[in-house]
Amino acid sequence: MMPAPWFRRFAFAFGIAFATLYVVAVKLDLALFTVYPSIRVVLLGTHHSRDSVGPSMGSFMPAMYWYGWTATAALGALIFGIGAALLPERWSQPFWSGWLWVTPVAAMIGCVYLTLPWFRL
Amino acid sequence: MYLNTALLIIHGLVAVALLGAITHQTIAAWMPSRGRRGSFFGRFRGVTPGSFANAIVVLYSVSALLGALLYLSFRVHLRPDLERAGHWPALGVFDLKEHFVSIGLALLPAYWVCWRQQRTDEPSRTPAALTLILAFIVWWSFLIGHVLNNIMGFGR
Repeated sequence: MMPAPWFRRFAFAFGIAFATLYVVAVKLDLALFTVYPSIRVVLLGTHHSRDSVGPSMGSFMPAMYWYGWTATAALGALIFGIGAALLPERWSQPFWSGWLWVTPVAAMIGCVYLTLPWFRL
Repeated sequence: MYLNTALLIIHGLVAVALLGAITHQTIAAWMPSRGRRGSFFGRFRGVTPGSFANAIVVLYSVSALLGALLYLSFRVHLRPDLERAGHWPALGVFDLKEHFVSIGLALLPAYWVCWRQQRTDEPSRTPAALTLILAFIVWWSFLIGHVLNNIMGFGR
């Protein structure tokens, strides 16, 4: 079974857009929602504790942003993917398929850079 | 806690299957066997790499889903202890695991399309490159998951 051309355009645009938007979401802390697993609460948007005590105090009511960052990037990538799927086939001809692997590699390097503070603690 | 332990074991088993499939595909895609396949390594890389694509998509998705479920328990029960014990580099590499897994998950549709097209279109290095990225993510996640698990352990 060969994938339909529209699905190919969707998949390529989704993968590239997600990788880009994910790094942006992590850098700018744009979580679609924040999860508080210990009290089983999910709040829309990014929420940070206003406590100014030490970081270990966060363990009393830890907040999780990874789900929210992923959802933000997925939502944005979905828009790009649907947009690409609706485009005429001829518009996708000049597309270099190498972007499919260059973008995630660049995004992963970006994630390493954003994680560096952990290694300086 | 028993449910988490059971989920962790299933997560580990799925990860082992995924690790085998992605490693097989990576070796076959980058070092295809030409000629005799008598040796173990020759047979290992002599498989058709595209035939692993469906299994890898399913296993990666299931493994990511199980990991996302277990992450809730990890954040509440294990990470505070790791923070108090000052395992900051371990937490850093675990954060990278989260990021890499998300990026890999979003690549799966394109990865699947690439390997499907590879069967009919002219050969391209893009499917092999995507496989290599996914292989790196899977190996990283597997090893870091074990490191974190071995530091504190589940179900203490």
